[in-house]
Amino acid sequence: MIPAPSPGQGDDKIISVRNLRFTYEGGVVAITDLSIDIRKGDYVALVGGNGSGKTTFAKNLNGLLRPSSGIVTIRGRDAARTAVPELAKIVGYAFQNPDYQLFCATVEEEVRFGPLNLGYSEDDIRRKVERALDAMNLQHLRDKPPLSLRLGERRRVSIASVIAMDPDIFILDEPTTGLDTEESDMLMQKLQNLNVEGKTIILITHDMRLVSEHAKRVVVMSVGRIILDSDPRGAFSDLEILRRSNLEPPAVTKLAHALKDKGIPADVISPQELVFHLLRGGESR
Amino acid sequence: MTGFVDLYTEGNTFLHRVDPRVKITAVILLSILAFVLSSLEALAVLLAFIMVLVVLSRTPLAKTAFSFKFVFRLMLLIVILWPLFDRSGEPVIASFGPLVLTEPALLRGVTSATRIGCLATVWYILMFTTQQRDIVRALVKLGIRFDFGLTLAISLRFFPTFSATIGSIMDAQRARGLEFGKGGPLKRTRNYVAVLIPAIVSAMRTADGLSWALQSRAYGARLDRTYLRDFKMKWSDYLALAAVVLVLVLPLTAKYVFGMEL
Amino acid sequence: MKALELKDVRFKYRGSDNWALDSVSLVVEKGEFITVLGCNGSGKSTICLLANGLVPHAIQGDFEGSVEIFEKPVMGRTVAEIATKVGIVFQEPESQLFCMSVEEEVAFGPENLAVPRHEIRERVEWALELVGMKGYNDRSPFSLSGGQKQRVAIAASLSMHPDMLVLDEPAYALDPIGRHDLYSVLRELKGKHGMTVILAERDAEEAAAFSDRIVIMNKGKVVDVGPPRDTLRNPDKLKRMGIQPPQLSEVASLLNARLSTSKYSFLTVDEAESTITREIIGRGGVVRK
Repeated sequence: MIPAPSPGQGDDKIISVRNLRFTYEGGVVAITDLSIDIRKGDYVALVGGNGSGKTTFAKNLNGLLRPSSGIVTIRGRDAARTAVPELAKIVGYAFQNPDYQLFCATVEEEVRFGPLNLGYSEDDIRRKVERALDAMNLQHLRDKPPLSLRLGERRRVSIASVIAMDPDIFILDEPTTGLDTEESDMLMQKLQNLNVEGKTIILITHDMRLVSEHAKRVVVMSVGRIILDSDPRGAFSDLEILRRSNLEPPAVTKLAHALKDKGIPADVISPQELVFHLLRGGESR
Repeated sequence: MTGFVDLYTEGNTFLHRVDPRVKITAVILLSILAFVLSSLEALAVLLAFIMVLVVLSRTPLAKTAFSFKFVFRLMLLIVILWPLFDRSGEPVIASFGPLVLTEPALLRGVTSATRIGCLATVWYILMFTTQQRDIVRALVKLGIRFDFGLTLAISLRFFPTFSATIGSIMDAQRARGLEFGKGGPLKRTRNYVAVLIPAIVSAMRTADGLSWALQSRAYGARLDRTYLRDFKMKWSDYLALAAVVLVLVLPLTAKYVFGMEL
Repeated sequence: MKALELKDVRFKYRGSDNWALDSVSLVVEKGEFITVLGCNGSGKSTICLLANGLVPHAIQGDFEGSVEIFEKPVMGRTVAEIATKVGIVFQEPESQLFCMSVEEEVAFGPENLAVPRHEIRERVEWALELVGMKGYNDRSPFSLSGGQKQRVAIAASLSMHPDMLVLDEPAYALDPIGRHDLYSVLRELKGKHGMTVILAERDAEEAAAFSDRIVIMNKGKVVDVGPPRDTLRNPDKLKRMGIQPPQLSEVASLLNARLSTSKYSFLTVDEAESTITREIIGRGGVVRK
């Protein structure tokens, strides 16, 4: 575990949210009352159907939205009083649709754009860009126009452009939508690497399969609140919670639930696991 | 989540119920009247009449306030700027060096502002009480080509979509440390490019999808298209139309036949 | 009757170096529910666009071979003409709804076909009810959720009374509940209305249960065609083609491997549950509590 980033903070909470409430102009309440702590190096899956408030919550973490009330603290600083570019150095946000941000002539320029805005020195920028291109396996594409690339590659460019700003926290909104299994696996592996390096990952998704395979912690949201905060298995053992937040459990989990009274544990999340329990006995784990 | 405000408010007032074709005709006739009238008194009476219609439309205060904010600013601007260009007449009220403020110029400024107020408000009433789709449909019924009506409808329909897209693009770039409205002209231009290019790419994709969707839904399959909804003039619509014509004809007769200074 | 027949079709999009479809032959019979499975770039979208004439009529490129829609060649007919036979729903919900209200959207097709007014009214109500959007007549499409938009798009096709419905990854942008509702509509179209459907998808998690046949595509070619039980039998093979296999297929395939058999194949959770209860747990495979 990486030690706390700065002395005097005392603990390794990198995000602390207290009684967050957010109301859109026009009166739509998107977040009712939300409190959560996230530790440095955590891998949190933020799940919920459309309209659950997960994206609104995430935008409150990087200053794109400001709390209507409550306090969001990022690495000890009050997010409401910190300018967006300052926050961008700490919280990176990769949007779901990479085409909403790609506009440069080459991949390299695209990746440079963030650190350039943040005012780093040229040397520093060069180093950060190289590292980001490496991290997302883009070196061979660095001179290509981003818009000519395939969706999976464009998404990697957009994430690299966030990595280049060198934030401690990465928020990724549905990063695997539209990707083939191979591309998706590769991307998730790269994110895993970032997490191993000590980066905090917040994965916004409604793909429960992705959650089961990667996250350390699952936060389930429904109509502007957190209705469950647990390890992935906990989230899968309660189908009612998932349904309430408009999520669909993976088919094996449904099957495991159907076989619950035959001795199969309800929190099974992979086919391998289910078959293991079927053939070796339901109670040995 | 978008900055888009549809001015229409659902309601069941007389102004909501009247045939949209009559409303469009009325708006055009009242606009003509506002242009023809030249005395401040007459225009003030017209403005008061239109304001009574606004009240009768029962449009929520929030929407009227939102709309009139712009009108008032425009009117104020006219009153302030008019005397700068129009310095003729006597008596002089005040003068600062080359700047001269005369009473007739001030009067003309206020008159023009009132006229603009009438024009804007009368169009607002149409928007307050008529769904956009009904306006488009009424225009087609009044003889505008269907293609043109469809184009107009599509533009109106996609306005909120593109507002939302542009909002998302700006968010995405702000998250990369871009600050809008900061830096020198060169930097600002570049900032706009960062929004413009993704917006154009997105619009082009939408346009492609749109043209496929239109063809797939048999657009242009035959010339004798039918329409699900039709407008039928009721006796009350004819009555309203007659009233509007009177509102135009009476002052015009007074002005041009009887020579009243209106 | 053949709803769609492709004979040795090759198609290359303008500006592309690869054949999007390479010597594809395929017959879809009237009344069949076909799921075309493949990863990005496999050619499944091109099949959809061929099935209503957008390729090659509106989307240009190099085209070879022959396409017949309801036993008439596609050449010499316009897309608007074919639209009376084939409805299509695209991936992106936003760009295919262009009217200012749901009702106008659904009425748009029949209006273009000069259907009498009272009949359009009936069709609109019928189609909206079928997709579970009754009462949304005056709502703006913009204000709907992604799933609702896709269901309105389906209604807007159905109101033209097509003989075949083509859907190109309709669940792409939807959340699980939107996806679930969309698939309920598709299941009903198959079950109650016997509609001919071609559905392009990247996974068969839901469609496996009610597709008559599955067409597996890879790099512009048809790799496999057959009932779901046969085509989804080998999860590893699907993975190699970039297709996420249904989890139930994985369970069945693991059981087959461990028990040295080939008899298991599950298409629904219920089926898997009863078979497992009867044949595995019933024979002492699991230590009971």
